[in-house]
Amino acid sequence: MSQKINLRVWLKIPDAEAATVKNTLVRRLGFGNVLTDVKKERLFSIEVDSGDPEELAKSFAKELVNENKESHKVLIDQLSFEEGYVPVKVALHIEDGEAISTRERLRNRLGFKNVVDVKKATVWKLYFNTLRPEAEQKSREIAEKLLINPHKDSYEIVS
Amino acid sequence: MKIAVMQFPGTNCEFETLVAVKAVGMDGEYFRWNRPAGELSGFDGFVIPGGFSYQDRVRAGAIASKEPVMSALKEEAAKGKPIIGICNGFQILVESGLLPVSGNVDMALAQNVMVSKGKIVRRGYYCDWVNLRHEAPSRRCSGSFIIERAALLKIPIAHGEGNLVTTTPGLIKKLNEEGQVVFRYCDKHGRVISEFPVNVNGSTESIAGLSNPEGNILGMMPHPERAFFAWQLPSFDPRKQRPDEPGPGRRVFESMKRYIEVNA
Repeated sequence: MSQKINLRVWLKIPDAEAATVKNTLVRRLGFGNVLTDVKKERLFSIEVDSGDPEELAKSFAKELVNENKESHKVLIDQLSFEEGYVPVKVALHIEDGEAISTRERLRNRLGFKNVVDVKKATVWKLYFNTLRPEAEQKSREIAEKLLINPHKDSYEIVS
Repeated sequence: MKIAVMQFPGTNCEFETLVAVKAVGMDGEYFRWNRPAGELSGFDGFVIPGGFSYQDRVRAGAIASKEPVMSALKEEAAKGKPIIGICNGFQILVESGLLPVSGNVDMALAQNVMVSKGKIVRRGYYCDWVNLRHEAPSRRCSGSFIIERAALLKIPIAHGEGNLVTTTPGLIKKLNEEGQVVFRYCDKHGRVISEFPVNVNGSTESIAGLSNPEGNILGMMPHPERAFFAWQLPSFDPRKQRPDEPGPGRRVFESMKRYIEVNA
């Protein structure tokens, strides 16, 4: 039976990309009255068909996370986020070359033959001064105005 | 005849682009993204050069496309003034909805995917000299105004996201039918081959450059300013030994000049 190891990875140092997104949303796209902060995570979803997922997660983190500048959190067969922000997961709906390269690296260079699939996404954590229904609506607007190009990306608000 | 060479944080081809603009006899200056956008109306044409505006944050061209100068450029484009977007400039034009049809984001320039014999052999950033075939009739597009149909140009590319993809139904057919496909990647004989290394980035129908329906805006992934003088050509090209000769990229800038003269 396959299991999915979700590896949430974020920078410990200031994230310039998240700062640029916040700046653009506030100064250029009119979200200054509702948006209070933007943070960002990388998400690896690694499907394995055997092995102890906890141990495998530790091994994958050693390869995929740079502990000098990044922190991470492992979730097995689930994906959840903290309260206080709206997580918007953005992924390619066309072929994701980086995800394929990661899978090949894990399987063929590092010997993790139990890796079946790897998916990558960016999770934008949008902080608002409004409550959830309105915050989710604003998140959809933000995703469609800036975070995705619908011809290659799709998004999902992770509840 | 005054050309604005646009400069965003991370643009890195503005210097050679301005050299090219001036070398064909146009006047020009850098136009920083944070200058009052209204000052753009004092220019006759615009070039958005290559580079990595805003470090390609979110995706190539996405942040720059939201800057007020891009709204002002839309207004200038609506007056029929020419705009040439090169590489990152093309990506910015697409993300702004100025190409291929004004108003909507109808396509994306996605990560390169190089396919050979049905298999993916490379992905991502790639730089090389490529051959381009001019697909549009001459005088159809501002950036290829004096280039005859089916002419071949050898010009370099250097990008990671030039793979034209679209989910807009019928868009590619429309671009073909209306002469908006300006350049395609081809081999040295002018044959369009859909696979790498001729199609260097997996772009749909090997499209390397597009215009808007009116023809005054050109976006192209290859860098004509890097093939402006013959001495810039690669060592295997015999024209390199004749440094006083113009390079193939010069014709793009000469086209812009001629387009402005004709439409003045």
